[in-house]
Amino acid sequence: MTTTEESTATTVTYATEPTPRLDWAALAPDVFKAMVRLDAAAGRGLDPALRELVRIRASQLNHCAFCLDMHTKDALAAGESVERIVQLSAWEESRHFYTERELAALELTDAVTVLTDGFVPDEVYERAAGQFEEAELAQLIAAISVINAWNRFGVTCRRTPGHYQPGRHL
Amino acid sequence: MTVRTRLLDPAVARAMSAVSAAAKKGLGDPALAELVVIRASQLNHCAFCLDMHLGIARGHGVDERRLDLLAAWEEAEEVFDERERAALALTEAVTVLTDGFVPDDVYDRAAAHFDATRLAHLIGLIVAINNWNRVMVGRRIPPGGYTP
Repeated sequence: MTTTEESTATTVTYATEPTPRLDWAALAPDVFKAMVRLDAAAGRGLDPALRELVRIRASQLNHCAFCLDMHTKDALAAGESVERIVQLSAWEESRHFYTERELAALELTDAVTVLTDGFVPDEVYERAAGQFEEAELAQLIAAISVINAWNRFGVTCRRTPGHYQPGRHL
Repeated sequence: MTVRTRLLDPAVARAMSAVSAAAKKGLGDPALAELVVIRASQLNHCAFCLDMHLGIARGHGVDERRLDLLAAWEEAEEVFDERERAALALTEAVTVLTDGFVPDDVYDRAAAHFDATRLAHLIGLIVAINNWNRVMVGRRIPPGGYTP
């Protein structure tokens, strides 16, 4: 290690890691087990790489640090590119990083996640319906809903990011 | 309004019902559970869910005036007690997640009225109805299909 690296290492002080609010999974194991079953059921028939993009995008919108830690690590471990992960927060301006099918799924993810501002617009649904057959689209909607559910547990119970090891999901 | 799709994988539907049922059971307050579920469905504009849960609430004997004033519960102190208000504030914070986090004062207020186990189930219930809201609004399932 050079002197410069040593001095950098000693001057960087990060903020204190927050304490989780509630260990909800231990307190409500019945709810947790049903969530795990739901997560597995909602993924059936969907491309795993697409599902990770959807999970990361919803977690960005819902500001779930724990979920971002988990799903970016899982996506990277599964071979997703750093560029496509980084550009997800601005996907509308970086369309050429994604397929039309992925873009339709991301647009639907945004609409289904930000539900309090309005409904899911017809043009968004129609674009997704043009890329996914009906049963697959129903699964995509379920998958978007389920990551929204995990995001709500993660944020509300303030589960802390940084400790996830890829591949340990559920 | 036309339904977009009625398809929903039966295993997904069963697991969603299991999440809702476990959360509701653990909360142990069916009338409060309906207030929470109706408020989230108002925020998420889920017509099917509102129709269904207003029907269930009336079945539980929840007073009409409370249902009428639920959308403005903050301005109706005489109608909702402190415990209900803490649960409704948490419902709103957990539902409108895209605008920010769940504020400490909202969380602490709920934690003062519910023990840790009930709080975990209350959060589970808010999450569960948000899940249903998304699946119903996303597929545009019209109101009226539910029979108590």
